[in-house]
Amino acid sequence: MGQKVELACIIDDDKIYVNLVKKIIEIKKLSENLLIYKNGKEALDYFKEIMENATDEDKLPDIIFLDLNMPIMDGWEFLNEFIKIKNSLHKKITLYVVSSSIDPRDLERAKSFNLVTDYLIKPIELKKFEKIFARTAA
Amino acid sequence: MLSDLQLNSILEDFDIAYWKINLFSKEISWSEHFNFLVGKPEIEEDRFEFFINHILHPDYRYDFRIHFEKLIKEDEPFSFEIKLRLDNGKYRWFECKNQKSKTEREFKETAVLLFVNIHQNKRDQYTIEENFFYYRETAEMTSTGGWYVDTVNKNIYWDDVSKKIIDCPRDFQPAYEDRMQFYAEEHHNRMRNAFDKCENFGIPFKLELKMVSFQNREFWVRLTGKPVYNNEQTVIGIRGVLQNIDENKSNELNLQNALDIIATQNSRLFNFAHIVSHHLRSHSSNLSLIVELLRESKTDRDKLDLLANVEDVAGNLDSAISRLNDIVSIQTSLRKEKVTIRFEEALEIVLASISSLINRENAKIVAEFQDLKEIRYIPEYLESILLNLITNAIRYRQPGRKPVIFIQTYVENDKEYLEVSDNGMGIDLDEYGDKMFGMYKTFHQSNPEAKGIGLFITKNQVEALGGAISVSSTIDIGTTFKIKF
Repeated sequence: MGQKVELACIIDDDKIYVNLVKKIIEIKKLSENLLIYKNGKEALDYFKEIMENATDEDKLPDIIFLDLNMPIMDGWEFLNEFIKIKNSLHKKITLYVVSSSIDPRDLERAKSFNLVTDYLIKPIELKKFEKIFARTAA
Repeated sequence: MLSDLQLNSILEDFDIAYWKINLFSKEISWSEHFNFLVGKPEIEEDRFEFFINHILHPDYRYDFRIHFEKLIKEDEPFSFEIKLRLDNGKYRWFECKNQKSKTEREFKETAVLLFVNIHQNKRDQYTIEENFFYYRETAEMTSTGGWYVDTVNKNIYWDDVSKKIIDCPRDFQPAYEDRMQFYAEEHHNRMRNAFDKCENFGIPFKLELKMVSFQNREFWVRLTGKPVYNNEQTVIGIRGVLQNIDENKSNELNLQNALDIIATQNSRLFNFAHIVSHHLRSHSSNLSLIVELLRESKTDRDKLDLLANVEDVAGNLDSAISRLNDIVSIQTSLRKEKVTIRFEEALEIVLASISSLINRENAKIVAEFQDLKEIRYIPEYLESILLNLITNAIRYRQPGRKPVIFIQTYVENDKEYLEVSDNGMGIDLDEYGDKMFGMYKTFHQSNPEAKGIGLFITKNQVEALGGAISVSSTIDIGTTFKIKF
C-alpha cells in the first residue's frame, strides 16, 4: 500500500456518522488530513475560495464522500454547483456519493453525473473504506 | 272521349282494376286487369261468392258484404282498404272504392267498383311508423333530442326530447338571440366557433360541452350539428342531435379524479417508504459501523467512546421514529369525521398553545374570517395547518422587523381558501420552490429550530383531504401560503 491519501473530505450532516468515519480514518491511517462539512454549501464555499485565490493545490482533497440528504444545500445541489467549478480546480478529485437511501431513482441519478465515481450505500464496511482509499492513493 | 280500350290501358298502367256490376241482374264482370291480378281463375260458382271465399282476406268479408249491398241499393260513394290474395298466393293491400255516378239513380244500369293497388304506400307507411317508433324509443332511451336552427329566418326548433333534456316546458319557444344562454359560460366560445364555422363554411361539428337547463342546472351533453343546404348550395340552417351524457360524463370525471387521487397516494406511499427506509437505515448503518469499530478498538477508553455513540444513535433513532409516526398518523386520522369548525376557534386554540413564542417574538397576528367563517374539516388538521404556518412565519421573520402575520379566509369560484401571509425574510422560490414541501428541507442556515418537517406534514394533511397548497414569496418582503380546501 505504502502511499496514503493526503487529504480526504466528508460532506455529511450526520454527526455520529462523521465521527465514526473519522475514527476509522485515524485507526486505519487512511488519510493524513480530513475536511469535514455539514452541508453542501459549506463545502462549496470552501472550494470557491480556493478557486478564487488560485493558490495551493494542497488544500484540495484527493477524495470526497458526499451525502445526499442534507439541510440548506443537499448533495444534488452540491453536485450541480461543483460541476461548474471542477475544471478550474487543477487536481484530480475522486468523488463518492454516500447515502443510506436505497431508492433506485437516487442511484440512477447519481450515476448520471460523470464526476461521481460510485454510489455507496451506508453502512460502508471498514474493508471497503480501506480499498477505496488504497485505490485513490495509488 | 277516350275509348274503353284506351281507358283500360291507362287504368292498367296505374295498377287499377275494376268490377262492372249490372244493377238489375247483379251480374259482376271483372276487368281484364283484375282477372290478371288474381290469376285468371276458373270459376264455376257465383263470382261474388268466389271472390269472398278465395280472394278477399277473411278479415274483410263482413265489411265488404255491407259495402257491396249499399253500392247496389243506394249507390253511396265509399272507400275502404282491403287485402286481396293475388296470383302468387300473397295478400296485397288495395283501396276499394266507388265513384258517385253523375247519372240519376233510376236510369243507372251499372255500377263500377275500383280496386287501387296501394300496397307500396301501405308498406311505406308501416315502415315510417315503425321507424318512427324505433326513433322515438331510441331517443327516449338514450335521451337524444333533435334540433334545427334556421339560420336565414333566425329560428330555433327543438323536438320534445330536446326540450325534456333542457328541462323546459313543451310549448317553450327559444328565442334566437338567447340561444347562448343554454350553454355554460366557459363553453360559449367553443359553441360559437363551431356554429359559425358550420353556418359559414358548412363544417359539421361534434362537441362535448356543458349546457344550462331551464332551471339553471349545468349538465354535460354531446352535440352534433350538420349544415342544411338549399338548392343554390347555401347553408340555410343547421341541424343535429343533442344527447344528455351528464351521467356518463360525471362518472368519467369521478373515475379520473379517483385515478388521480390513487396515483398521488401511490407515489406518496412510495416516497414515504423510501423516506422511512432512508431514515431508519441511516441510524442502523451507524450502529453497524460502531460494532465494527468496537471489534477493532484496543483500549477500554476507545470502547467507552464508542458506547457513548450508541446512546446518541438510540436517541436519534427514537426521535426519527416519532417524526415518522407524525406522518403516519395523518393517514390514520383520515378516518376521523369532518365537522364544522369555526376558523376563529381553531385559531384561538393554536395561539394559546404558542403564546410564549408569540410573546417572546412580539409577533402580531391579524385574522379576517368574515368572508368564510367556518369549514367542514378535521379539527386536528386545521389546527396543525395553522400551527405549522404560523410558527413557520415567526421562525423565519426578517431580523429587526416585528413579525406580522395576516390570516384570511374567503370563497372564490365556489372553492374555499385560507391564506397565511407574513412580512418575514422570504424564500428564493426559483431555487427552492419545488422542494419547499419536501421532507427535511430547511432553507435558512441560521435557524437551529428548523426540523424541516412542518411543511411536509401540512402539505400531506391538505392533500389527504383533497385540497392543494401553494406558495408565493419575495425575499426580504415576505411569504404567502395559500390553501385551497
